[in-house]
Amino acid sequence: MLKGKKLKLPDRLGSLVVGFDDKDEDSGGSDSVLESGEELEIIQPNGFGSGRESETDDDGEIEEDAMVKRKAKVDGELEQKGRQRHEKDGWGHVLVMKIIETDEKRSDIEYEISQKEVNLEKLQRIASTGLPDGGGLRATVWKLLLGFLPPSRDLWEKELTENRQKYSKLKEELLLTPSELARIKEEALHSTEHNADVDTDGPLTRQKISHEDHPLSLGKASVWHQYFEHTEIAEQIDRDLQRTHPEMKFFSGESSFSRKHREAMRNILLLFSKLNPAIRYVQGMNEVLAPLYYVFSTDIDEQNASNAEADSFSCFVRLMSDSVDHFCQQLDNSSVGILSTLSRLAELLKANDEELWRHLEFTSKVKPQYYAFRWITLLLTQEFNLQSILRIWDSLLSNPFGVQDMLLRVCCAMLLCVKSRLLSGDFAANLKLLQHYPDINIEHLLLVARDLSPDTSSYRLSL
Amino acid sequence: MVLVLAIGDLHIPHRAPDLPPKFKSMLVPGKIQHIICTGNLCIKEVHDYFKSLCPDLHVTRGECDEDSRYPENKTLTIGQFKLGICHGHQVIPWGDLDSLAMLQRQLDVDILVTGHTHQFKAYKHEGGVVINPGSATGAYSSFTYDVNPSFVLMDIDGLRVVVYVYELIDGEVKVDKIDFKKTSTTRSAH
Repeated sequence: MLKGKKLKLPDRLGSLVVGFDDKDEDSGGSDSVLESGEELEIIQPNGFGSGRESETDDDGEIEEDAMVKRKAKVDGELEQKGRQRHEKDGWGHVLVMKIIETDEKRSDIEYEISQKEVNLEKLQRIASTGLPDGGGLRATVWKLLLGFLPPSRDLWEKELTENRQKYSKLKEELLLTPSELARIKEEALHSTEHNADVDTDGPLTRQKISHEDHPLSLGKASVWHQYFEHTEIAEQIDRDLQRTHPEMKFFSGESSFSRKHREAMRNILLLFSKLNPAIRYVQGMNEVLAPLYYVFSTDIDEQNASNAEADSFSCFVRLMSDSVDHFCQQLDNSSVGILSTLSRLAELLKANDEELWRHLEFTSKVKPQYYAFRWITLLLTQEFNLQSILRIWDSLLSNPFGVQDMLLRVCCAMLLCVKSRLLSGDFAANLKLLQHYPDINIEHLLLVARDLSPDTSSYRLSL
Repeated sequence: MVLVLAIGDLHIPHRAPDLPPKFKSMLVPGKIQHIICTGNLCIKEVHDYFKSLCPDLHVTRGECDEDSRYPENKTLTIGQFKLGICHGHQVIPWGDLDSLAMLQRQLDVDILVTGHTHQFKAYKHEGGVVINPGSATGAYSSFTYDVNPSFVLMDIDGLRVVVYVYELIDGEVKVDKIDFKKTSTTRSAH
């Protein structure tokens, strides 16, 4: 299979064997066509696997047509490149193989999650090779991998409904304005009393206020003061949400569709900031939330999609609990803070490629703080497009040693994949390259990450 | 939830140098959506100060105001309520409820905010509500020197208004609240 050919580490700039390089470029090219997710979406399990995700026959026909058209388009592109006939057939063959592979994977996953007791290890292994787009598979698998859904299928229903109820209660408690809160309290108190002075004229009765509970109160305990403090955070969240994935209709623009999504994400982030006063909201959390929310709302299952907000909240909390220490400024220099993680990244690089490490640390003086801070705290959401992020997160979430472990490996792999450019660059060039990481083949990147030799110091820390 | 500040009769600089510091520390920008000023600021600096608290400022002319371009009275709609503003020196006898009720019917408003007496009042009278925020600086009035600084903050939430009364008594800020609802029968045509 094609993957077998990529055992050494070819990089974009120059390679020893020209012909091999060309093929790699093309395979990279056609892989990226496949990676875009468009192809995979076409292949619905019509007739494959279980009937749980049965599409209508009409859909199947349309998709087959589209598949044929797409294949023809790729073939056409290859013809333009002037490949020889037999190689073109070779690509066509590869395409079909890839499609069949994805279908098999899809039915594998469906089989796994339809078990009474889901075998998490097996699921992790399959997921680390990438989950298929389209359908609700990614959503369900991510929920399982994050521990949101328990392994035993019978408990799913209960767990989901409980969680969703808890979320709406939380929203009621924490996201109301103080006047709404006061109104509800008053209605509860005075529901039986009639307003005695409804129709009588005269001076209106003045009531005492308890606990400095007026809108201009500067007291810390006042509901109003807390509310106004949070409006600042809410404004920051709104600004960041406007800038999330501006190229996608799902998130940006003024349609009611995208507004609804931004509102849901706003609620989640606001709730998170209220429940975590130590870190509140940090710019970038919106980027970490975006893939989760996107995957859950594009779930085929109607119920899941409409409860995406509640589910995303719980999964977001779980995901953040891993890296929450990175956001806390006081912990920066401690053994769990961001600086410690960055030095672990440097150690990992040193253990795998001392030449590159030496060049970065000493020769060009590019320390991890300058480029990897964003990589690590935002889980690589700012370095790649959404499709690539989803693929990378498949690997991150399915790592049996945890998200952070795989994250460091992927970061290290990112450095290795642009090694020759880094070696020939100085401080400015390297920094520029790493802060605007170039497009590369994601599967290749993840393969490199997986094959890295682990840094033993990280094992010590994780114990 | 709309916060509306009703304030007036400051008489700066003629009768008072400035707002009491305890009031000033509470009035910060970003919390209030509208400011209603009954008049007698009297100078532009006070106008600018209010503008810095909130861009939506409505002022009516008091007899000592230096800017003669303020209107005699003004009406605006906030949420479900129609509010009217008038300084009150035009309504004779000053502070008389029936005369104010006439003005209220004339402006056709639910809540009439008026001043000039430098005395806080909140009245329900003949189907409407009259609110007098008093003098924010405690400036002496045409009646008396004994004036407590006061102003009013209204929280308009649907059909319900909570009126927070801020008074400076013996150097301490005392806050009370008044609750009333708008019912559909309050504005019957007489």
